[in-house]
Amino acid sequence: MKFSSMRYLAGEGVKNAWVNRLMTIASVGVLVACMVIIGLAILISENVNKAVGNLEQQNVVMAYMKDYNWALYGGGSDADTSSGTDSSASDASQDTASDSEEAEAGTSAESSEGSESTESTTDDTDKADENGIKPSDYVIHNDDEAKALCDEIAKIDNVAAVEYITSEEGLESVKESMIEGQESYFTFLDDEYGNPMSGAAKITMTDMSKFDETIDKIMELDGVDTIQSQSDLADKIAAIKRGVGIAGFWIIAILMVISLVIVSNTIRVTMYNRKLEISIMKAVGATDSFVRIPFVVEGMLIGLVSALIAEGLLYFCYRVATETIIATLGTTDIVYYSDVAWWLLLVFIGIGIFAGVLGSVIMISKYLRREGSEFAAI
Amino acid sequence: MEEMRLQGGGTAAAAPIIEFRGVSKTYPTGTHALEDVNIRITGGEFVFIVGSSGAGKSTFMKLIMREEKANTGIIRVNGFNLTTMPRKEVPMLRRTMGIVFQDFRLIPTMNVFQNVAFAMHVVGASDRDVRREVSRALSKVGLGNKARSMPAQLSGGEQQRVGLARALVNSPDLIIADEPTGNVDPNMSYEIVSLLTEINKRGTTVLMVTHDHNLVRDFQHRVIMLERGKIVADNAGGSFQ
Ligand SMILES: Nc1ncnc2c1ncn2[C@@H]1O[C@H](COP(=O)(O)OP(=O)(O)O)[C@@H](O)[C@H]1O
Ligand SMILES: [Mg+2]
Repeated sequence: MKFSSMRYLAGEGVKNAWVNRLMTIASVGVLVACMVIIGLAILISENVNKAVGNLEQQNVVMAYMKDYNWALYGGGSDADTSSGTDSSASDASQDTASDSEEAEAGTSAESSEGSESTESTTDDTDKADENGIKPSDYVIHNDDEAKALCDEIAKIDNVAAVEYITSEEGLESVKESMIEGQESYFTFLDDEYGNPMSGAAKITMTDMSKFDETIDKIMELDGVDTIQSQSDLADKIAAIKRGVGIAGFWIIAILMVISLVIVSNTIRVTMYNRKLEISIMKAVGATDSFVRIPFVVEGMLIGLVSALIAEGLLYFCYRVATETIIATLGTTDIVYYSDVAWWLLLVFIGIGIFAGVLGSVIMISKYLRREGSEFAAI
Repeated sequence: MEEMRLQGGGTAAAAPIIEFRGVSKTYPTGTHALEDVNIRITGGEFVFIVGSSGAGKSTFMKLIMREEKANTGIIRVNGFNLTTMPRKEVPMLRRTMGIVFQDFRLIPTMNVFQNVAFAMHVVGASDRDVRREVSRALSKVGLGNKARSMPAQLSGGEQQRVGLARALVNSPDLIIADEPTGNVDPNMSYEIVSLLTEINKRGTTVLMVTHDHNLVRDFQHRVIMLERGKIVADNAGGSFQ
């Protein structure tokens, strides 16, 4: 197609939009509203994702190791490996030789401390110590082995970071997390009976939605006893992300359809206003694509103008909203408009052109298919 | 007068510019608008189509420009076989003909020049060709000095001359006009048909539907008379009237 024809037809499209300006303004208004709502949906979901991302960072998983303290206090039973279990809990099944009274049940964890190892094997290299614990009773014998286990964990997919927490550090953080004043009740933990905490790997995951499979892989490693985490938080985070994603999808889909209907309706009105021109174009032998161009240009123009206005309006609205949020909540941990301005503009232009081109092509094709009355000299 | 027609370009032996063979047209409403029509029109002829209202004259014209399709029979126009031609070739057929409307069909928001230029722009003509050809067409119809006037400022006859200029501007081989003088007073009618006759003398085939017996009588051209969808008279051999 020649440039002069293209320019002429594009000019006709601009003229259409102007002659039809009330309708044009109305549809630009509706399109802008749709785009602003779509933009808000995107910004809200971005902010939710950011906040959730922060939560994910805080959601660490503790993998307790089968070390000496585990053998001593935990009891080497692999029966209980479910996540969320307190590692210090134990059924103390293996060594209650001295007494097995029911009365002791309430303090079984402590009772196991004083137990004797009477049925241990007598291997020269595997001697029981004064607590009756042999090296073969546990897996992680020293810090080096613990760090090696941490390295193994770090190799698993979806594990972002691993930090080795010694039993002393573990006890400190347990104490820190206790409500003020309650600390004194738990002094027996280290003063009277010694530190019962096992060493642990502090694990951060990349993607919480793969939580369960990652936990399964960690559990497979030799030397890992139990895993303590807030798996419900992981579920909640995944649910929030899913919810925001689904809501966003439907909002955008519905508003896209509305945009399309609005633009095609405007084009339809233009088309009926331009019946005469169309009939002449067809009578003198204009091809369908030539007939279509002015309408497509008009639709695109409506879409583009709407995109620019929506971008400006959303910038203004979002700035006011975020300034209020920053002033009242004091948080600055939000998505800034400048971070998303360009791709929001692209999204708006995309929607505008999609609605403008498709809306006009649908309408004009429908019109052209019913071959109009070029010659109705009845 | 019959000689003048032959001077216009065609001879009886020349390939027809329009040929109808056994053409029937029935509208979806069941109306038989045309029945078994056979016609040959040679390049360079001037033909009046006459007949009472509802005789099928407009249907005949619509079949030629392929706004309607025949139910049976074969139609050839300007080398196109309209029976087998796909829809997307219709624009190419129409570019070989100029159409004049009874109601002028000028775009009220465009001036005279723009109205004529419109017909060139929308078939992809360049700006330079548009300027040259539009001026030429306007002076042919005697409106060279009215290029900037708006249609509403013109008389009916002048408006129809703009319509004529628009039909001419793409240099068609064939002009078809369905009652072009129907909305024009008698003096102006003569002017329009004189212009068409002049255009015909330069080689363009002209097909014109009219109700006006005075025009038919005074401009001695071939006359085809339709009644109830059938050709009842044709002075192709000069024997009519
Ligand atoms: N689009 C149409 N649909 C149905 N019937 C039509 C249509 N156009 C014309 N007719 C009918 O076909 C017959 C011929 O019409 P037409 O060709 O317009 O006649 P004329 O132009 O000679 O007055 C008339 O009876 C008319 O009512
Ligand atoms: Mg008619």
